[in-house]
Order: sequence, then C-alpha cells, then structure tokens
Amino acid sequence: MNRKPEDRLERIVSGLLRGRRLKLRGGDAEDKEAIAAAARLAGARQGPQRMHPAFRKRLADSLEQTQSQGWLTRRAALVAGLGLAAGAAGGALLGRDLGPVNARAGGEPIEPVHGRWIDVAAATELVEGEGTHVVAGGVGAFVFRHGDTVTAVSSVCSHLPCELWWESHAGALSCPCHPATFTPDGKPTEGYLLPALNKVHVRVTAAGRVEVLGTE
Amino acid sequence: MTTEEQAGEQAEVIQLPVTSSTTEIALDELELVYAFIYARVGNRADAEDLTQLVALKAIPRLRPGSPPSAVRGYLFATARSVLGGFWSTRLGLSEAELRDDLALAAPPGPASEEGTETVQQILDRLPDNYRRVLELRFLHGYSLKEVAAEMKSTVGAIKVMQLRALRAAAKVRLDE
Repeated sequence: MNRKPEDRLERIVSGLLRGRRLKLRGGDAEDKEAIAAAARLAGARQGPQRMHPAFRKRLADSLEQTQSQGWLTRRAALVAGLGLAAGAAGGALLGRDLGPVNARAGGEPIEPVHGRWIDVAAATELVEGEGTHVVAGGVGAFVFRHGDTVTAVSSVCSHLPCELWWESHAGALSCPCHPATFTPDGKPTEGYLLPALNKVHVRVTAAGRVEVLGTE
Repeated sequence: MTTEEQAGEQAEVIQLPVTSSTTEIALDELELVYAFIYARVGNRADAEDLTQLVALKAIPRLRPGSPPSAVRGYLFATARSVLGGFWSTRLGLSEAELRDDLALAAPPGPASEEGTETVQQILDRLPDNYRRVLELRFLHGYSLKEVAAEMKSTVGAIKVMQLRALRAAAKVRLDE
C-alpha cells in the first residue's frame, strides 16, 4: 500500500505517544531521520525516566543468576551474539581484563554447537568490497564480496562487547567503544593491539544465495 | 585540602567498599543507562529490552570490585553499541549518521535533564510554526485534531507540518 509520508510518520508518532514500541514497515526508512527525531521528542516528553520496579527486579534477578553461574565461556558468548575477547585461550574464563590486551593472533572461526546455515542475502546484493552486516540467529557478521569470493568475520569487536560498524570511506570495520579498526579480513589496523576478529563460516549456494553458519 | 581528605577522596574513587557487589553497582548504573536509552527510543518496551541487552553483554565482562567510573564507562560504551545496532536494524540508518548522533551522547549525571535539555535546544532552533506543532504534539500530548484547532488549521495540514517539522528537527546539529 502506498501511503503518504505524513500518514506513515503519523502512525509512528501516534504509537510513540501511546507508549508503544517502535514498529516500522516497508517504506518507513525513507524518513528515518524524522523517526529518530520523533523518538527523541517522545523520550523527552516526561523528563528522565527510571526503570519500572518490576523491570528492575527482573534485571537484578538475571544479573544475580549470571554471576552465580560464573563467567561465560568465550565460545558460548560468541554464539549468543555477545562480544568477548576473542584472543583468550579456548574456553578461558572471561571478565579478567578491562584494559587493552596484548596482540594475539585470534581469528579462529566461530563454530556454533548446533550450527545451521542461514540465508542472509543474494550474492548480487553485496556491493564489491563493501561490508554488509548480517545476523544469522545468534551470530552477527560482516560479509564481504570480492569478485566471486565471499568472506565473513564476526561483527563483534575482539576486545569490548561492541558491535562494529562498517566505515565505507576508510574501508575498515570500526569499533564505537574505543579506537580500534579492523580490515575486512578481520586484522586489527591501529590503536589497541587486539586479536583478529573471529572468522564466520560463509558459503554461496548454486542459486547465488549467501549463507552464514549461525544458529536457529 | 588536607592529606586525610585527599586520602579519603582517593580511596572512594579507587576502590569500592568490600561489601558492595558488582550487581548492586551495576543496577544503579543501569538506571542511568535506561534513562539514556529511553531518551533515544521514546518508549518503555524498547528501552527495557535494550537495557537488558546492555546488561547481558556488559556484566559478564566486569570484574567484582571494579570502580564505579569503570562500570559506568563500560556500560555506556555498550549502550551506545546496542543503540547503534537497534537503529541500524530498525531503520537502516547509516553508520556514519549514527556515529555523529551518538557522539553527543555523553553519560548523564544522576539527576540529568540531558534528554529534555537537548530537545528544548533543538526546538528552539526551529521556525515558530514547526516548534509549535512539535511542542503541542509531543510535550503537551495534543492529538492532531487538537493541534489543528489550536493552530487554526486542518488535520491534513498539521500532519504535513508535523512531518516537515520532524525532518527539520533531525537536521539540527547542536554544538556540543
């Protein structure tokens, strides 16, 4: 249905003012900046917000549970989409170091326990040399096409648990949390001495579809 | 400042009391993270989901006994990343635009009016009719019909003006 932009935006504004979740439809992205502005205005309407007591309780319970279970293993967290120090020795415990880490090789491929090939895009949709962010269940990745070859690396920084961004002008993956950048093959370029990004298994089917080894 | 005062202040900054658990500190800091996220997504359900995600991502990486400043810095760094992912997924906002926007997002203090102040500054830079329609709609909670009556216009015209006003608000860049 071809709705007018003002009608589409009004539906979103109206939802926000009723306290509803941001739900977007095809075509809404056309006015993405206006939608982000509407969300900020709606967010400022009642001044700074505090957590609802029930939510705070749920959060406290889940935090206590996390702590009582001990630190997550690197593998479990990577597959769950949580960013961790990829260079830690396999199965090593986490939560040990908030500072810069020493340079390590890293770059091991992510091997989900119950891995499944997930369709993420058509090979023709990938722009030559440009990073495309994809999500395959619990595995986030940046996919690159160079000619007929498609490669993928984890979308999570190898140091802090932050989702990387593709900086087209620099041709590099950049971490928003600290001055770290990575080449499309996952190698650190400057700043902190970090392990390489984890590789992600990727393949192109006979039908020209790009599939990433992820989770359900 | 006396040597004792200096030592006391230093001790408070460097090390938490032994009895303070990382969870308790993290919860207080997560209140700030929640306010920060809410001010950017404008609704409770998304703010709760994203705050939970920040906690899940960041807490396992915090050491027991980490100073509050380290906990806060780490949580907000994670919050910026999570918000980036949220907008990128929902809207397809470009990463460069996101980065520009999030660069303004310094961690607020405990009693911060950060979100409200920023929005007021944005509104102040808009033409009168744009500012008026957004104030009535968002800050006073008027319906489109009520805004139209107040501004002596039609619902259709107000809807278009709302769209243009939000587009204009999105273009305002604050010198922060």
